[in-house]
Amino acid sequence: MPDLLQELKQAVVEGEDDQAQRLSQKALEDGLDPMTIVKQAIVAGIQEAGALWKQNRYFQTDMIMSAEAFRAAMEVIEPRLSGTETSNEGRCVLGTVAGDMHNLGKMMVVVMLRGAGFQVMDLGEDVSSTTFIEKVKELKPDILGLGCYMTTTIGEMESVISGLKENGLRNRVKVMVGGVPLTQQIADALGADAWGKDALDAVDKARKLMEVKK
Amino acid sequence: MTDKPQVPVSLAMQDHAMMLTGTSAKKLFWDAKAMVDAIIEATEYYQPDSARLHIDWYNHEAEALGAKMIYGEHSKPTVDFGQPLIKEPGDLFKLKTPDFYRDGRLPYALECYRLMKEKKNAPALGHCSGPFSLAVALRSYPALIKDLRKRPEFARDLLDFTVDEVLLPYIKVQKEYCGVTSVSGANAWASVPGLSPEELMEWAVPWSKRLKEKALEFGITAVSQCGEYSEERLENFDAGILHRSFDVQIASTGSVSLGLLLGRWQDYPLEPVLDYTAKYRKQGKRFPIQLAVNARLLNDGPIDKIVEVIKRFIRTFVPEHELEISMHPSAGNNPDHVHAAIAAVRTYSRAPLSGNMDEIEFIPPRRESFQEWKKRMAV
Repeated sequence: MPDLLQELKQAVVEGEDDQAQRLSQKALEDGLDPMTIVKQAIVAGIQEAGALWKQNRYFQTDMIMSAEAFRAAMEVIEPRLSGTETSNEGRCVLGTVAGDMHNLGKMMVVVMLRGAGFQVMDLGEDVSSTTFIEKVKELKPDILGLGCYMTTTIGEMESVISGLKENGLRNRVKVMVGGVPLTQQIADALGADAWGKDALDAVDKARKLMEVKK
Repeated sequence: MTDKPQVPVSLAMQDHAMMLTGTSAKKLFWDAKAMVDAIIEATEYYQPDSARLHIDWYNHEAEALGAKMIYGEHSKPTVDFGQPLIKEPGDLFKLKTPDFYRDGRLPYALECYRLMKEKKNAPALGHCSGPFSLAVALRSYPALIKDLRKRPEFARDLLDFTVDEVLLPYIKVQKEYCGVTSVSGANAWASVPGLSPEELMEWAVPWSKRLKEKALEFGITAVSQCGEYSEERLENFDAGILHRSFDVQIASTGSVSLGLLLGRWQDYPLEPVLDYTAKYRKQGKRFPIQLAVNARLLNDGPIDKIVEVIKRFIRTFVPEHELEISMHPSAGNNPDHVHAAIAAVRTYSRAPLSGNMDEIEFIPPRRESFQEWKKRMAV
């Protein structure tokens, strides 16, 4: 691997967002293939950070910094990639449900899914069930991800899933839920297809859901 | 010798009291009397040893400073972390100490503390955010983390602001308004693995200590514990990291006691806690431990599993430690689980402790529903 890509990968691992952005720009100027930059440096970097997190060598602060560097690098590269090249694992639409503004876990899920090759549309926080349903109709994602952080907003997930059923959309999209107050039992009771207990688990579950869909 | 239970049970239940009493979020989180009445009513229904006023205190100071909030019909208020009050470092210097008697829902919070004191006829306990958690509410977590790494001077200014310009004046007002002499600073953002123990020692502990030291100057004990261990990935449980997080807890409070309130204590091995406290026990100290029954376990049950976990807690920590078991039932928590958990603590912690708890028959209490109980009490 060229030294430049190795440096870029390291910048993502170490969470150096300014450096990651600068090196991404330089890699493009040097004529490196955008997809090679993504795969060998940017995605490889976030995956290495994820591995360090799994080994307890990284804490959440380190993961946030790596996610920021990933995002900064992708901002430079993404416009140079065609949609089909960037994301071919599946399409996800996700957001935090109405009444809930917590975005940390969702941010990690977005980055890790993108790193794993999913095309992700992040609807943000405090998203109404109507918006979720409209976006499912419009974008026809493979997976709809719903996040919540408070026990009082779990009910909103139920509203979204009911809304999907009422609109005849439930069989067209897999629903994955996540967030601190959730458990597998709650996910089952809600009628979700999967529960992602953290960002890495969400990626594994998303891959499994795609296998089922295929 | 006594046959009294040795382990007190406390309940903290803002969301649960809301659902149980059928009070709307709009009323409960604005009307102090409605909140205190709901907490007291739910407490009388469950009969724990102590009831904690547990309101959304993480929001109050940030809201009063002007943070954008989301007020849900059925959910407690929350800061809009997507649009933090301090978007750029320069925004910090535009902030002014709130008027605690007027701004946001601070008057509501003050009245909650006063009413709780009045109705329970007990010393008033005050509440505020912990310095680190207030900094998160003002800046958002990812931005604050980036500040710690890339703008440490600004991060220090922000943390200084939380203590000197907001929390200390707020604590003074709490004393003035309802005579609090003890204040708890909620600091769940300052937990492991959100931050490493070393980061907490650098970025959270000094401001918790500063809050405590300065509050003592006007006669208030203000404790804002950092370093709760809340590793969700069971396979990543690490006794070394746990012990370092305990070091953080003790450094932040200045007292030899542990709070095991977050995390999956029903699944973690408990021996590493005993390993940590061994040196204190050798000196004859009964190290106080406040241990929570995990909210998800309490929600999901089944009752048998909740009871087994409580037995394990008691078997491990009593009588060598002063154990208190706390519970934080979620909004839709099945009340039968809460009744059973309280009864289990009382059954298995009776002195002298049984050498074989499995021989003690536990029959889950048959309790009327909250509505039936209310009807009966009204007669």
